[in-house]
Amino acid sequence: MLEFEGNVMVFGLPLIGKTVLARNIFLNKLKEGYGGIYITTNDTGEDVLEWFKDFNVDFKVIDCISKTIYPDAEDTDQIKRVASPIDLTGISVWTSRFIDSYFRTGKRDVIVLLDSLSTLLMYTNPQTVYRFLHVVTRRIKATKSKALYIVQKDMHDNRTITTLKQMFDGIIEVKEENDKKFLRFISPTYKTDWIEFTINKKTVVI
Amino acid sequence: MKLGLPIIDDLIDVPSGKVITYYVDPEVEGDVFVMQTTHKNLEDGYKCCFVTTSMSPMTARNRFKEFGFNVDIENFSIADAYSGIVGDVSNERYFIRDPSNIDELSEVIERVIEENDLIAICSLSTMIDMCGEEILEKFKDWKSLATANESVIVSQFIAWPYEKRIIDTVKDLSNAIITIGGIHHRVILGQYYGLLKVDWTKVESRSVLFKLAKPGGIRAYIPKILVTGPYNAGKSTFVHAVSSKAISVDRLGTTVALDYGHVEYKGFSIDVFGTPGQERFDPILKVLGGEALGVILVVDSTKPETFTRAKELLEKTTKFGLPYVIAANKQDLPNALSPEEIRKRLNLPKDIPIIPTVANKGIGVYEVLDALIDLLTRWSYEY
Repeated sequence: MLEFEGNVMVFGLPLIGKTVLARNIFLNKLKEGYGGIYITTNDTGEDVLEWFKDFNVDFKVIDCISKTIYPDAEDTDQIKRVASPIDLTGISVWTSRFIDSYFRTGKRDVIVLLDSLSTLLMYTNPQTVYRFLHVVTRRIKATKSKALYIVQKDMHDNRTITTLKQMFDGIIEVKEENDKKFLRFISPTYKTDWIEFTINKKTVVI
Repeated sequence: MKLGLPIIDDLIDVPSGKVITYYVDPEVEGDVFVMQTTHKNLEDGYKCCFVTTSMSPMTARNRFKEFGFNVDIENFSIADAYSGIVGDVSNERYFIRDPSNIDELSEVIERVIEENDLIAICSLSTMIDMCGEEILEKFKDWKSLATANESVIVSQFIAWPYEKRIIDTVKDLSNAIITIGGIHHRVILGQYYGLLKVDWTKVESRSVLFKLAKPGGIRAYIPKILVTGPYNAGKSTFVHAVSSKAISVDRLGTTVALDYGHVEYKGFSIDVFGTPGQERFDPILKVLGGEALGVILVVDSTKPETFTRAKELLEKTTKFGLPYVIAANKQDLPNALSPEEIRKRLNLPKDIPIIPTVANKGIGVYEVLDALIDLLTRWSYEY
């Protein structure tokens, strides 16, 4: 699986397998002993845990959606719920708190998956999201953690995508050609060729 | 009005017509400050409106309840500037259908100001994000209206990396600013709030560590205070006298490990650790001192021959520059030295508080705590 440092965008058209790919990278890091923080803006925290159930891994979830559907939804030890996808402060606060709690228990390697940045951009204007990213990406770097941010291609204007790209250390780009899926990693210092991959149920095979 | 915050409430009363801003680090929870201020003023009988911008009214009510703040009362209302964003309708007394529409938002907020004593905006930064910085022009009008109507506006401003002119405008519009921040060291080690600016009276800058309790809200927090002193000076008695609950590990009446006590006092939640006075336990001082924020040195005022040891203990526990105060204990016994005599014999600077105590009768122990809290909360910081 791909190795990367810092903040990386996972970028591609809808329904191409970005989420499964990002979840597989996240999963591999958990298996290596990383602490994990999954920020979900589309599925409930319980749905995210259900997806990972068979893999026997432990991680934390920041659930941005449950309270918009069920205002009475309560936190659990594993799932913390922020008020809505507009509550960027809540997301920022819980990301820092979870990183802190991992550090305090001696876990110094942490991976964060934000699924997805596109949803945040649907609810809030780009400038607000840039400001939020500025704070979160800085925290990721300061703690030498890793983070993945899923972004839908063709959903945002070019200016937004260009600005976002500048905020990340690299991009995992995903495309489909002739019914085959490909990915490549691009960073200012490193670029892979397009690599074919398939998805077998929940598993990405390169 | 009061803001409902430990320490800050001792320093300022908020006159009507003022704008108070909670200036919040984006990695620290700030909603609770606006909620605690709202709750305090509801308790004091004021009519309060909470303007919700990034959570549904029901989620907001649940958040109040989580902190133990009762808002199911007639004087409380919500101005709903959230439901419109996600296409919901609202049953609240005030509803902004399109929170990105400056004119509609401002019209409703003006009505809120006219009809309430306290307007709690959570958050101003979300309004700026939704409407653009032009909303700050409207905010100037809200401020004038609040002055005319003798209301108070409290708002939360999340310190995202906005352009400097936006931040400066928010600061200029505020009559008082309370910063809420994290002590950053790769990760956030602690959280604090502090009074940065007050333009209607002169007060000393203060900064207070806090923790959030559910229920309970904001609790000023001093993580650990060490109580040290020579053998038989009365350390264990002091710890027990000052604590609401305390335990000691002792043998034949003297402490052989440590005393532990916990005290809830003036909005502070304090853990108090008493160290053994005998030299063979000195290595433990280093361990205990590592995380302490302040030291209380208990001396037997009738035994100046133990003062050399007292000075030694003080040096061992405060070598990291911890603030300390002296409890001049056993003041009820004959031949007890006065605090000033003790200062001379211990060769202490004039600004070190020396408080007379009779720990076994509980006399003076809280004054000692007051003096240490005063030292601990008198940090200054940059604005």
